[in-house]
Amino acid sequence: MENAGYLFAAFGIIWAAIFIYILVLWKRQRSMQTDIALLKETLRRKKLE
Amino acid sequence: MKTSRNIYWLWGLSSVLFLASLLMVFIFVPTEATMGVVQRIFYFHVPLAWVSFLAFFIVFIFSIFYLWKREEKWDIIASSSAEVGTVFTTLFLISGSIWAKPIWNTWWTWDPRLTAALVLWLIYVAYLLVRSYTAEKERGARFAAVVGIVGFVDVPIVALAITLWRTQHPSPVIFSGGLAPAMLFTLLVCLSAFSALYALLLWLKIAMKRSESDIETIKEAIDRGN
Amino acid sequence: MIFWRKVLAVTWKDVLSEMRTKEIVFSVLVFAMLVILIFKLAFSISQDMLLLVAPGILWVTFTFAGILSLNRSFVSEKEEGCMEGLMACPVSREAIYVGKMLGVLLFMLIIEAIALLAFAVFFNLSVFSPALILVTILATIGFASVGTLFSALAINTKARDLILPILFLPIVVPVIIGAVRASGLALNGAGWSEASSSLRIIAAFDVIFLVVSFLIFTYVIEE
Repeated sequence: MENAGYLFAAFGIIWAAIFIYILVLWKRQRSMQTDIALLKETLRRKKLE
Repeated sequence: MKTSRNIYWLWGLSSVLFLASLLMVFIFVPTEATMGVVQRIFYFHVPLAWVSFLAFFIVFIFSIFYLWKREEKWDIIASSSAEVGTVFTTLFLISGSIWAKPIWNTWWTWDPRLTAALVLWLIYVAYLLVRSYTAEKERGARFAAVVGIVGFVDVPIVALAITLWRTQHPSPVIFSGGLAPAMLFTLLVCLSAFSALYALLLWLKIAMKRSESDIETIKEAIDRGN
Repeated sequence: MIFWRKVLAVTWKDVLSEMRTKEIVFSVLVFAMLVILIFKLAFSISQDMLLLVAPGILWVTFTFAGILSLNRSFVSEKEEGCMEGLMACPVSREAIYVGKMLGVLLFMLIIEAIALLAFAVFFNLSVFSPALILVTILATIGFASVGTLFSALAINTKARDLILPILFLPIVVPVIIGAVRASGLALNGAGWSEASSSLRIIAAFDVIFLVVSFLIFTYVIEE
C-alpha cells in the first residue's frame, strides 16, 4: 500500500475542514440566538418603560 | 427561534451518507490498477467539483432573483452558496494537489479541470471580496450579484478555452477513462454524501445570516426607542 | 438613431477630456515601453526563442496597460461628480455603457498600436499582419466589454485599484488564452484556419459579454 499516506492526508484534510466548518457555523448560530433572545428582552423592557 | 426539525434530518442523512461513503471508498471498491491506493481520492475529489458547480449555479440563479426583486432573502441564499461553494472548490484544489504529488511527483499539474477550478476559485473569491470591500450593505449585495451572474456565464467559456490551451500543451491529466460498475456506484454514493453536506452547510449558513440580519433589525429598533 | 447620438456624445466627452490632458495615452505608452524593457532584461532570450515568448510578452503588456486605462476610465465621473450629472440627462444607462465602452476601446486600441510599434522596433518582429491586427481588435473588444462594467463597479468600492484586476483578470482568461495562441500563430506566419478556433473563442466571448454587460450595467450605476 504505497502512497497510503497521501490518501489519508487528503481524506483527513477534507473531512476535518468540513467538520470544523460545520462546528464553527453551529456555534456562531447558537451564540447569535442567545444574543437575539437578550436583545428581544431589552426591547421588550424598553417598550414597557 | 427553535431549530427546525429539518436541520436534524439533514444532519442525520449527511452522517449516514458520510459513513456509507467511507465504507465504500475504503473497503468495498476495488483498487485501481495503474495508480494504486491513492486513486481512491478520486471518489471525493470529483463530487467536490460537481457540488461546487451546483453551488455556483445556485449563486447565479439567486443573484438574478436578487437584482430583479431586491429582497434580502435572495441575497442571503446567493452569498451563503458562494461561501460554501468556495470552501468546496478549495478542497477540490487541495485534494487534486495531494493526488498529483505521489502520481506525478509535483504538487500542481496544469490539468484542464484543476486549472479551470483555479480560475473558478479566483472568480468566487472576487465575489466575496467585492462584498467585503463595499461600504454599504445593499450596494455590496448588488455588486456581488453582478459578479455572480457574470462569473457563472464565463464558466463554460473558460472551460472551453482551457481545454483548447491544454490540447496544445498537454500535461498530466488527473482522470480519464471509463468506470467499472463498482466504482460508479461508489462515486454516486459519495456524490450523494457531498450533496447532502452542501445542503446542510447552506442551511446553516443561511440561518446564520438570517440571525445576523435579525440582530441588526432589533438593534435598530432599540436605538430608535432611545 | 437617437441612441447612437447619445452614445457618441458620451464617447466624445471622454475623447475630448483626454485630448486636453493627454493623461492616459502618454503615461500608458511609457508604461508599455518599460514593460517591454523589463521583460527583455529579465529573460535573456535568444532571437529564435523570441518568437515563442513574444505573444506572451505582448499580451501581458496589453493586459496591464488595459487595466491601467480601465482604472482611470471612471475616476473623473466619481471624483468630479459627473456620474450624477450624466444620469440626470435623458441618456439611458445603456447608452452610457456603450459610450464609455467605445471610449475605453478607442484608448486601448491606440495604446496597443503604439505598443505594437515599440514591439516591432525592439524585437525586430513583423507585427502588422492582418491576422495579428484582427486578434488584437477582437480581444480588446472583449477587454473593453467586461472592463467597463467592472471599472464602474470597482470605482464604488473601498480598494478600487485592487478590486478591478481581481475581478477582471479571471473573467478574461479565455480572451488571453485565445489571443496569445492566435498571436503566436500570426507572428509565425500561419494562415487563418489554424487560428480560427482561438478567434472563435474570443469572438464568442465578445458577443456574450457585450450583451451581458450591456444588460447588467444599469444595476451597477444605479444610486
